[in-house]
Amino acid sequence: MKVIAASKVHGRNHSDSELKAALGSHLPNPPRRTDRLTLLALLAAAPLKAHLQADTGLYLAATYPARQNMFALLENVCAQQRLPKPFEFVNSVSNAAGFHVAQQLGLQGPNLFIGAGPQVWGHLLDLAGNDLERAQIRQGLVLLVEEDEQDGFCVQALVLENGGDALSARDFVALSDSVEVVRLELGS
Amino acid sequence: MKPVYLQSAQLCSALGENLRDAALACHKGRLPQPKWFELHERHEQRPYLAVAGAPLDLRQRLQQLIRTSSEGGALDDCLLILASTTLDIAAIEARVAAGEATGNQMAPALDALAEELRREWGFAGAFTLNTACTSAANALLYGARLIARSHYRRALVVAFETPSEVTRQGFGVLELTSPSAAYRPFHAERDGLILGEAYASVMLACEPGPAPLARLLGGFSACDTSSLTNTAEDGSHIDWVMRRALYSAKTKPAKIALVKLHGTATQTNDLAEINGMRRTFAQALPPLCVLKPYLGHTLGACGLSETLLLLESLRQGSLPGCDYAGQALLPLAAEPLAVAGHSLMLANYFGFGGNNASLVLQGITP
Repeated sequence: MKVIAASKVHGRNHSDSELKAALGSHLPNPPRRTDRLTLLALLAAAPLKAHLQADTGLYLAATYPARQNMFALLENVCAQQRLPKPFEFVNSVSNAAGFHVAQQLGLQGPNLFIGAGPQVWGHLLDLAGNDLERAQIRQGLVLLVEEDEQDGFCVQALVLENGGDALSARDFVALSDSVEVVRLELGS
Repeated sequence: MKPVYLQSAQLCSALGENLRDAALACHKGRLPQPKWFELHERHEQRPYLAVAGAPLDLRQRLQQLIRTSSEGGALDDCLLILASTTLDIAAIEARVAAGEATGNQMAPALDALAEELRREWGFAGAFTLNTACTSAANALLYGARLIARSHYRRALVVAFETPSEVTRQGFGVLELTSPSAAYRPFHAERDGLILGEAYASVMLACEPGPAPLARLLGGFSACDTSSLTNTAEDGSHIDWVMRRALYSAKTKPAKIALVKLHGTATQTNDLAEINGMRRTFAQALPPLCVLKPYLGHTLGACGLSETLLLLESLRQGSLPGCDYAGQALLPLAAEPLAVAGHSLMLANYFGFGGNNASLVLQGITP
């Protein structure tokens, strides 16, 4: 398995509107009424569109769900005893981000969403590598979305194909060292 | 795909505190009684299928599942996959309902529970998988693939769906829940689904072990990008997924003795599955069954809860006949349905986010 393309997006304290504006330069028709997790995943995936074929599986990991969306739902339903807004509820189904990435990039393969823990790169590579080896797909797009209050957000993406040696590295820097990484640093 | 065995299966559901009781109730055609909740603002009642037995906290339930499915042995050769859409949100909902302000301190990392259990039990690896209603089906499929390729020797799939108020109100606002409490997938006058609570586990291994329940021969999962909430109504994506699943198991439609339908009883999803079935099987439809009336729609857990109920009910003799078969839009069996011990079965699981999955299973006669 080999890495053929990579991207990394980094930023801090950016509103959803700012993320949406940044996304506009990569996608002609970005999805409406999406949550932050979807926007972040799309920001890293969209610059890789030229490298991707339809027969691609998506393996997305995130540390957290779209928390503001989740809090809005909790406030509405549990504190205010109101019905949730339909689009907020649908977005809370956490593979909504994977759906929008697949739809925007035209990916037709498997679409998995996992929680990002300490072994996340190993799990992402195992899942994608397995589908590649079994010829279920021609390419794998792996995406890791991380965001916290101290460091802001960081989204890393790799496009994988069969061929080359087994990938033994388990961090983005080492995994992407054979390709030129598309970097997007959102200013403050 | 190299076949993988399902062992040490557990299920706690509305139908019973354990898999054997649930299968016995299903075998006899005994439907669980729903509890009712109120839709906010509309003040309308909707049914819900809560688990039978004494209430237990989520961690206690998960500990119980792991202890029983692992049979007390070491787990350092085993991958843990948690499959759920709600995880422990019910606990967070209780805090918000009690007046606590929402904030980042309240939201645990998505993998927190899996990592906690990995450390406590010594699993070789662990992760949380959420692909909506295909979560557990994907956990079975990818767990099996990972052990078949020797990434791990075994994989423990733990699937659960807790009674989340956000989920109940969310499905209500989308007009997907049944006001009548008559859960009738594929009925011409179906009026929606009943959500259900469930906790289930199964050990996957390449060796049969002392009492294997079934073999997982193959499967396929892919994303239909036509809509976030519905799959293509013409059934084309479902057809493609079922065909790829059959191909992965090196079999074909004519070899399938039984199809466990996804059958949510919502208007569009049942229609898409009907069309998908007609495309794949044409006029030669095999015997068909639906299990959601017995468990409720257990969302992220249904890929395991329904698979286990299917296998154990058949092991006990037969699945119950469908009492509205004459009004169903697919030929559901009106009489009790049994299949030979080593028959091939297809199990469908479809969900939000365009995720569609099909599994090919083979029963094992004890």
